[in-house]
Amino acid sequence: MRRFLLSVLIVAGCHSTARQPDGPSARRIVSLLPSFTEILFAIGAGDRIVGRTTWCDYPPAALAIPSVGDGMPPNIEAVAARKPDLVVLYNSGPNVTAAKQLERIGIHTVLLDLNRLEDLGPAARTLGRLTGLEERAESLATAMDAFTSTNLHPPSPTSTIAFVVWDNPPIIIGTGSYLHQLAALAGARNVFGDVAAPSAQVSLETIAARDPQWIAVLSDSAVTPGFAKRQEWRAVRAVRQGHFLLLKGSLFGRPGPRSGEAVKELKALLAR
Amino acid sequence: MKWTLLVIVAVLALAASVVLGPAAVPLNELLRSDIVWNLRAPRALLAFLVGGSLGVAGASLQALVRNPLADPFLLGLSGGAGLGAVIAIALHLSGPWALPIAAFVGALAALGLVYRLGLIGGAALDPRILLLGGVAIGAFAAAITTAIVSLADASELRNAFLWLWGGLSGASWDAVLLVALYAPLPLAVLLAASRPLDLLALGEEPARYLGADVEAVKRRVYLAASLLTAAAVAVSGVIGFVGLVVPHLARLTWGHRHRALLPAAFIGGGALLAIADTLARTVVAPRELPVGVVTALIGVPVFALLLRRWTIA
Amino acid sequence: MSPLLRLTNVTYRYPGAPRDALSGVSLSVGPREFHAVLGPNGSGKTTLVRVALGSLAPLEGRADIEDRPAQGWRRQELARMVGVVPQREDNLFPQRVRETVLLGRYPHLSMWGRERAEDHAAVDRALAACDVTDLADRWLWTLSGGEYQRVRVARALAQEPKLLVLDEPGMSLDLKHEMGLFELIRGLVDTQGLGVLMITHDLNLAARFADSLLLLESGRPVASGAPADVLTQETVQAVFSWPVSMQTIDGRPQMIPLRQSKESRA
Repeated sequence: MRRFLLSVLIVAGCHSTARQPDGPSARRIVSLLPSFTEILFAIGAGDRIVGRTTWCDYPPAALAIPSVGDGMPPNIEAVAARKPDLVVLYNSGPNVTAAKQLERIGIHTVLLDLNRLEDLGPAARTLGRLTGLEERAESLATAMDAFTSTNLHPPSPTSTIAFVVWDNPPIIIGTGSYLHQLAALAGARNVFGDVAAPSAQVSLETIAARDPQWIAVLSDSAVTPGFAKRQEWRAVRAVRQGHFLLLKGSLFGRPGPRSGEAVKELKALLAR
Repeated sequence: MKWTLLVIVAVLALAASVVLGPAAVPLNELLRSDIVWNLRAPRALLAFLVGGSLGVAGASLQALVRNPLADPFLLGLSGGAGLGAVIAIALHLSGPWALPIAAFVGALAALGLVYRLGLIGGAALDPRILLLGGVAIGAFAAAITTAIVSLADASELRNAFLWLWGGLSGASWDAVLLVALYAPLPLAVLLAASRPLDLLALGEEPARYLGADVEAVKRRVYLAASLLTAAAVAVSGVIGFVGLVVPHLARLTWGHRHRALLPAAFIGGGALLAIADTLARTVVAPRELPVGVVTALIGVPVFALLLRRWTIA
Repeated sequence: MSPLLRLTNVTYRYPGAPRDALSGVSLSVGPREFHAVLGPNGSGKTTLVRVALGSLAPLEGRADIEDRPAQGWRRQELARMVGVVPQREDNLFPQRVRETVLLGRYPHLSMWGRERAEDHAAVDRALAACDVTDLADRWLWTLSGGEYQRVRVARALAQEPKLLVLDEPGMSLDLKHEMGLFELIRGLVDTQGLGVLMITHDLNLAARFADSLLLLESGRPVASGAPADVLTQETVQAVFSWPVSMQTIDGRPQMIPLRQSKESRA
């Protein structure tokens, strides 16, 4: 039954509809995504986590858990050494391969989507079922669903924004990413709302022509990004004016239970 | 007649690069548009200079190593450049020119290593060793690069590979000026070697007996072509197929006399890259394709057609 | 009149080789003289050409071209004086006959100058002398072995040299084309006054057409002079380690190899 469950999960790809596993709930979990670590702690399964990635830094209690590497790609031996009965992975190409390898050595894995805010609820519910903590998971999921349902009636945008994740070549965030949703909830319109993918390479002239008021970059420092000094980037008005939003990686780098906090912070930054 | 046509094609390609783009700029506003002057114009010119340099470097190298499959990036330069760029990012070197300079230095280091390898048999540069050494050094550098990227914690390093894929996004008037000042010297050296390169096609010994100073020519051509390629990689990453295919296309019309072939390869390479870049910017707008993908998509069918002609001949 | 090419007691050994490639070799080629160098494989024939043309420096003795050391000539200057048809040529790209012969004008052109009318005239003359004018617009890869060889001689002639050096030009040519080539060379010596140094395997044709022979064995000169003096039965049998019978045609010695019975094979 477990293997069937896993194959359904893997084959289903984008759908994270998990079925009820029959068998004991997981007691030794390795979490290979910071968001899953946060969710597990939030539903009370934090003490069952026996392995995390180096990126998993929230809540602070997570830092006490042994690290199994940066997870990109997952270090199979390090994960196996923790003797888990469940490994939770983000659903991506390399992770599918890693999951298969873990299954081959008899370790149960589950791949979950987490690209947009609406993936949070289902992820929480799945983790709840797998740990037998359905009630707490349900209340967390409901909160997160409610939060994302506000996305269906987002506030009218009062400013325009573009997320730049790389400068050469310029890579922006499109509607497929939770960052786009965070922006909408914070009242900023993503000028690349016509790009369906989570991220895409665009020409610099497109950014310049669409003239966003703010350029958002994921950065843990307070320093203006290096590309702001490049001659060609100065064709973008927001760069000339220094209108950068520096978003901290641990809060904005992935969707998670603290996304509400992220929206608040974004709103505050936009109001400056 | 054919020169006129080539120049017309080049001018049209440049014009298209300036007029067309994902940002809709109406024709009557072209001259006043900031986007056109600060983004499209330098980008078009840089594409032309880089494409032309790769075309000439490719043609010269094919004659030097006596192999029609030679491409400027077979010499290990792209591996060296990538390693330089990744080291620069890993060390958090700042400054807008940190990446190109590091890539250039990396390419030069690879050049030095391959050159040293090529001298192994004595003072004579052996073209076969240049080719093999280039592939080996390039692979070695790429392996170190991958190791650094996988060991380091920064996801920025993974994005460095995107830069290496090739793109003219970094084009600015500064970049154009730099390349325009730098390129003429190696280009002149290669053009001056036109006749010896013609002779070299017969083989080194016959070329020597026809009066060519074969050792000096080999050194000069290898260094000049490599310097051009290193600069191209530094400003625009690895753009494949231009250096391989443009010389063959030019030979179809201009023959093998390098006196005509090299200038034709320059103009043709420049036009091709300008066209490829315009396509990269407009075909999936607002998204942009990496220009290396477009040159490969154009280059591979063209190359297949050329192969048919080769085997028939 | 100084000879075009002169080797005086030349000795040469390749770096790291166990024995000399050339040992005490002397040779003098003047205008209107057809010299052939013969010998078994490994006797030093190609090394002789390299030393004579200054590609290698003799360890002992001298190699002079027109009384100046061969190594002292600048490459382009030497190419105006000596036209070489080496053993191997690998034409990388398809070419037409006229284009490849035009390459022979390189020693006369400046770096940036274009080909002039006199260059094209020289090419025409060279094509005519080698009887390949009607092949001028053909692609090289469509030519027969013999035609291609004549084109290579034409290219060397386009250099307008005083001396022609050919390394095994008849190899892999059939009877008709090899004879044609030797007749061509003889004709060039007689009508244009060229000096010719030819390395060849073909004793009989060398004896028929050349004025003077040099026979080498393991880098040492065994005999030199008129064909009849050099190609005697004892000499040939000793150098080539095979029994032969000598005949005379047109006053020139011709060698006929004999079959060996099993017992007499050494």
